[in-house]
Amino acid sequence: MGGYGDVKLLRDDGKRLDGRAIDEMRPVTIEAGVLPAADGSAMVTHGLNVAVAAVYGPMEAHPRKIQRQDRAVIDVRYNMAPFSTGDRIRPGFNRRSREISKVTAESLESVVLVERYPRSKIRVEIEILAAEAGTRCAGITAASVALADAGIPMRDMIVGVASGKIEDTVVLDLDKAEDNYGQADLPVGILPNTGEIAFLQMDGDLSIEEYNLAMEYNHKAAKEIHEIMVDALKRRYEGGEN
Amino acid sequence: MVELVPSLLRQELDRLAADGQRIDGRGQFDGREVHLEVDCLYNAEGSAKVVWGDTIIYAGVKFEIRTPWPDRPTQGSLMCGAELRPVAHRKYEPGPPSPESIELGRVVDRGIRESGCIDMDELCIVPGEKVWGVMIDIHVLSDGGNIFDAAGLAAIAALRTAVVPAERFDVGEDHTLKVNGTPIMASFKRAGGRFVYDPSEEEELGGDERIHITLGDEGHLHSLQKGLKGVFTPNEFAEILAVAEQKCSELREMVAEKEGN
Repeated sequence: MGGYGDVKLLRDDGKRLDGRAIDEMRPVTIEAGVLPAADGSAMVTHGLNVAVAAVYGPMEAHPRKIQRQDRAVIDVRYNMAPFSTGDRIRPGFNRRSREISKVTAESLESVVLVERYPRSKIRVEIEILAAEAGTRCAGITAASVALADAGIPMRDMIVGVASGKIEDTVVLDLDKAEDNYGQADLPVGILPNTGEIAFLQMDGDLSIEEYNLAMEYNHKAAKEIHEIMVDALKRRYEGGEN
Repeated sequence: MVELVPSLLRQELDRLAADGQRIDGRGQFDGREVHLEVDCLYNAEGSAKVVWGDTIIYAGVKFEIRTPWPDRPTQGSLMCGAELRPVAHRKYEPGPPSPESIELGRVVDRGIRESGCIDMDELCIVPGEKVWGVMIDIHVLSDGGNIFDAAGLAAIAALRTAVVPAERFDVGEDHTLKVNGTPIMASFKRAGGRFVYDPSEEEELGGDERIHITLGDEGHLHSLQKGLKGVFTPNEFAEILAVAEQKCSELREMVAEKEGN
């Protein structure tokens, strides 16, 4: 967290700077099947974030040393477009995107029925086109819908959501200012049908009570986003097209 | 589309061409449907999304303040780059920029730069000290054929709707970037032995050389590129140049229409 404690993030009426309540999420829209070249794809807008995910495969795993005899490997690339942030970012991987790619892949491997596709590879490409705090969560949500759109069997989808702390108050879904000047951020990936957690990161400072409240908010938001995900997939396959 | 049977595809394209047909039913110089959207991304100072058949491309413009070159103290700079990331097609691999993506970025860059639509002196803030560096990044999300034309269109539309973020850098008030012209690209591919406009993915797979032509508002040539193996005759070029003039005017009108909104 940025640790600039003196920036005011809560208004006198208890609302946040953008007018949201403490436990209110930014608006989310999801569309499935947006990229014709991919086997499965999805676009997620979460507030001003725009995340697109494409899925290719299952395909032969190359190079051979990455093959697993009993299951598929999931190869995730999380990438921010050069124009997605305030200052342009140089194209290519950096430490942050490598770490996010790694933990995202591991969480997706926990829900995809990878044992169905031994020795193969499933490629998941997450592209962030606009970033306003919360891109890894939008990316996980987009990847889940894209995997479902590609027809890849999963135990459940994963919903990416985050809560955090600003001015000693736990709030749902930090925006950019809250992320920069807040005290904690807790992004998680939740399996909506079981409530299990497949993705977990956190930074900042939270008491156990604050953690529990933040998780409560996250579970509530995951239910809301899950409905939007399911709706996107239904719209995609309605009417017998494809 | 998997590269399983390019030689069979090649035969099929030859057969269709003999009847004056194309694999997706278009006429020789018919383009696919094009949708253009501008100002669609929050952090980019200019942005555009182009959906061109099955091809989807975003372009974003960012500004930075840099020190001018010593021999050109009053001139800013313009750079256009393209990324063909693995998201766009199963044929693209992760790794450093491929020759194909470098070619794409440079051909689009030349068309915009050489048209003179950006006056580099207009990008000066303090002579010898501070100038604007303008960067256009082309991000291909879905390669369904003819990414060159879609990339060129996205790039110029993003540039023409860009706002210089002077306030953020504390060097004055935000203002729209001055762009004097709308260079547009038209691309042709030899498929089934003759040139077609706006090649599809199949035509790119089973065809030969391609030619990219960028025309300015006055119909002048600003960039030309021949790619891949093959040769063409002056008469063939004259024919596609006439088609390019018409296609570029239509797309230029589309950009103007979007700017008006």
